Amino acid sequence: MSETKVYTIKKTNKFIKPLVYTLLAIWTIINVFPIYWMFTFSLKNNDEIFGDNIAGLPKNWLWENYSRAMSGGKMGLYFTNSIIISVAAIILTLIAAVMATYAMSRIVWKGRKLMNKFFMLGLTIPIHSAILPVYMTLKKVHMLNSYQALIIPYAAFSLAMAILICMGFMDDIPIELDEAARIDGCGTWGTFFKIIVPLMTPALSTVGIYTFLQCWNELMFATIFNSRTQFKTLPAGINELFGTHTTDWGPVGAALVVATFPTLLVYVFLSKKIQSSFMAGAIKG
Amino acid sequence: MKRRLIALALAAVMVLSAAGCGNGGSKGKTKLEMWCIATESDSNRKSYEKAIADVTAAHPEIEFTWEAFENQSYKTKIKAAVAADEMPDIFFTWSCAFLGDFVDAGRVYCLDDEYKNWSKELDVKMLTNSTYNGKHYGIPLTMTIVGLFANMDILKQVGYTEVPGTYKEFIECCDKLVKKGIIPFGCAGKETWCVTEYLESVIEKSAGAEVLNDIFLGKSTWNNKDVADAVDTFQGMVTKGYFDPNGMALGNDEVKANFMKGKYAFYMNGTWNCADFANNADFFPKVKVAEFPVINADKSQLGQLIGGPSDTLAVAKSSKNAKKAAAFAFELGKEICHYGYLDGCGLPAWTPYYDTSSVNALTRSVADIVANSNFMVLFGDTAQNADSANIYLSYVEKVYGCQIDGQGFIAGLAKDIK
Amino acid sequence: MHNKKFIKVRDITLFLLPALLLFVGVLIAPILMSGYYSLFDWNGMGDRTFVGLANYKELFTSIDINFLLALRNSLLLAVLSVFLQLPLSLALALALGKGIKGERLFLSVFFAPVLISTVVIGQLWLKIYNPDYGLLNSLLRALDLEDNIMRWTGDTKDVLWLGNVKIALGAVFVPTLWQYVGYHMLLMYAGVKGVPVDLREAAMLDGASSGQVNRYIVLPYIKPIIKISIIFAVTGSLKSFDLIYVLTNGGPLHSTEVPSTLMISMMFLRNRYGMGSTIAVMLIILCFAFALLIGAAFRKED
Repeated sequence: MSETKVYTIKKTNKFIKPLVYTLLAIWTIINVFPIYWMFTFSLKNNDEIFGDNIAGLPKNWLWENYSRAMSGGKMGLYFTNSIIISVAAIILTLIAAVMATYAMSRIVWKGRKLMNKFFMLGLTIPIHSAILPVYMTLKKVHMLNSYQALIIPYAAFSLAMAILICMGFMDDIPIELDEAARIDGCGTWGTFFKIIVPLMTPALSTVGIYTFLQCWNELMFATIFNSRTQFKTLPAGINELFGTHTTDWGPVGAALVVATFPTLLVYVFLSKKIQSSFMAGAIKG
Repeated sequence: MKRRLIALALAAVMVLSAAGCGNGGSKGKTKLEMWCIATESDSNRKSYEKAIADVTAAHPEIEFTWEAFENQSYKTKIKAAVAADEMPDIFFTWSCAFLGDFVDAGRVYCLDDEYKNWSKELDVKMLTNSTYNGKHYGIPLTMTIVGLFANMDILKQVGYTEVPGTYKEFIECCDKLVKKGIIPFGCAGKETWCVTEYLESVIEKSAGAEVLNDIFLGKSTWNNKDVADAVDTFQGMVTKGYFDPNGMALGNDEVKANFMKGKYAFYMNGTWNCADFANNADFFPKVKVAEFPVINADKSQLGQLIGGPSDTLAVAKSSKNAKKAAAFAFELGKEICHYGYLDGCGLPAWTPYYDTSSVNALTRSVADIVANSNFMVLFGDTAQNADSANIYLSYVEKVYGCQIDGQGFIAGLAKDIK
Repeated sequence: MHNKKFIKVRDITLFLLPALLLFVGVLIAPILMSGYYSLFDWNGMGDRTFVGLANYKELFTSIDINFLLALRNSLLLAVLSVFLQLPLSLALALALGKGIKGERLFLSVFFAPVLISTVVIGQLWLKIYNPDYGLLNSLLRALDLEDNIMRWTGDTKDVLWLGNVKIALGAVFVPTLWQYVGYHMLLMYAGVKGVPVDLREAAMLDGASSGQVNRYIVLPYIKPIIKISIIFAVTGSLKSFDLIYVLTNGGPLHSTEVPSTLMISMMFLRNRYGMGSTIAVMLIILCFAFALLIGAAFRKED
């Protein structure tokens, strides 16, 4: 009996394996080709892009496209701003989420489930639905035209997801550890700082990834809440560029590459870490 | 280690935010801020830069800062700013309805007092579009009209050395072009205002300027047979293949580049384009500008144009130095107008006080057309209030996409615009 | 005793405070304000007039606003996501989750587009779709396929991917699919990897083919993740904005209009702030309803 079973498995494998690889190869090409194309056309002039050399490597490598994209647009500044705002939003989200999660998962009180559900409302709220009220509030607290003008809204909109993830992580920390700490004389705060916070470090990168994805791309808040070049983020900056060179594709391509390349570079080196943190979110959430 | 990193990052954020709040600056100087749309790609950029350099040099007591935003997102931005009463001291705006909403909300500083100092150089007629209830609220910069730009190299291929002057000749010319496989018109379907540049000229030259003007200003309804016929005339041009079918998916910058590359015979658009055409040494000798021919001589005549002063500066009522800002804005507006005209970005709303012989030939022929004009209808999307203008634009898009005909156009607009 | 209770309440409050401040201050309060504004006829700047539920009534009846078209478009995007994007993600996750050669490389490549800024992706795809010089039409021309497709789409000169009413919505969907397949794939891959090895082995010893293992062991195991994926895909489609704003901004002829783009144009182009707020409220209600609905559907299955 068992021999026939082994036989069946082998048979299906023969069929499936090439098929799987073909599928994966096709999807790889679809995935990589547009990015490859972006890199190549960023180094060409219009004649090459519009002419016979649409998808090949550039014949003349026009590095000056990059200097044109960098000098006109302030890509370096926008990139730095995006990093500062994303990192600060991640930190703020993390602090608020871990503390709230602790109150709802470790301290027993009536209404903590309801409170959790309340926060989960945030998962479904579209970020654009409150632009003007948020704008007016920011104005009242004198926070427009600053990094906080984006950090705080971004953190608020990332909070629900962060709490969802933190809940998953915190549930994995054995409650016995809390009890042991209590016996050692730690209060609520002591337990939080000595036990929970150090053990929550794996959640740090997971929350970080999800919050990053939320902040990095946002366009509308970034356009409206900031009026000074010094605080402009990458999406707002690129969006302003595209009137600039639409007739000349090379520099546009260069600007797009400049906006993308650093992230991809970090990703190449940290892909395993990034993926595992992201996946932890799937399992814990 | 990680925790120390976090602490460092937090500290950094706090320092940065502190820098964001306290905007230091030197004492004793009056701070003025301006928002505009003269981004680095804008044809007006150079005239803004030169004007600002001049005026700030003349006023060392003023600390002037300015920011430029992309046109489409600026419209969102300035409205949010007006709603929150968070405008800069001086801001760019379009005249008529766009500025009118801000004036109604009581957010704009009245310029009547300051205008007295400038009335000799700025004709009061130029303020019509930014005057509400008899009070002036805007400083006009340049004036633009819709021009019919023609690539003479291409017209030569079908036997024309001049832009056809009558409608009959014009249509013959287009038919010849189509037969030869040349596309007569370039028009960006992705940006509906580009379609209106054609459509409004056709309506004006068929039904008459006064009719169109009254409709735009809400003095009469869209329910007008002549307008319906004119719209059908325009749609006939679309179905006869006068327009580039790919135009539906292109933006204006792309269409303009195509025109300069010789893909189209004609391009109807604002005369601010003269500057860009003049800057292209290869293309400039080929291009001519003309007025759209009269379609129905019983109702319309040459000299009826689409356009007027629309680009405007205004001063926020909330400005701490509104009076100084107003004086500064007038001086700046005058200089922007001065350099804008010399660059060929538009016609001067202010009386030129300088030698204009260096202005490019194309802009000067536009000036001649304007000199002979007898009626100007302001662009439909500026003249009507925001809601009506956008309803109007969506109907124009439907006409261009051949989803409705002239009758559907007037019936729909008469119903939807309140 | 009393003192202890006080300390507990104080601690709970303090721990919740940062999150509550952020959440209520930046999300809940503004949305309540939006709900309030939705009852007014207001241009966002001047005086406002109370009109009760008139905005809601107009939203669903006005042909000129055509909210139902925007809603239909976003639901169509949701359907495409659930029935095209997620199965593709699942297939990739299952294929990679079995442990094959090059697993890590494939994983990294497929997830990469998730990290690229939406504005960049929008600009890149604008160039891909350009009718004259875009990558897609050039490719089709080289393969002699463009005429066939034009016969089907009704274009006369080139295929107008983003300019043709018939296909624009589909053309807008493709970059979304392209960008987010990796996102859902990695979520599901995490689930597939979490299936205990002995469960798999036991099934295979019982004579199950790999298809059967997937069907009867893996799928039930990762059901919660699939549920989350579906909720994200559906609410994400309802909320979609950035990519459409860059690619078409709702055009041509509103064929790619979705509630978010309609809301922004109501608020800031047409100066109908009250109506824009009404759309915002409807959007929140819809997202919430769909999330509950999907949750309920899964619970019923169990």
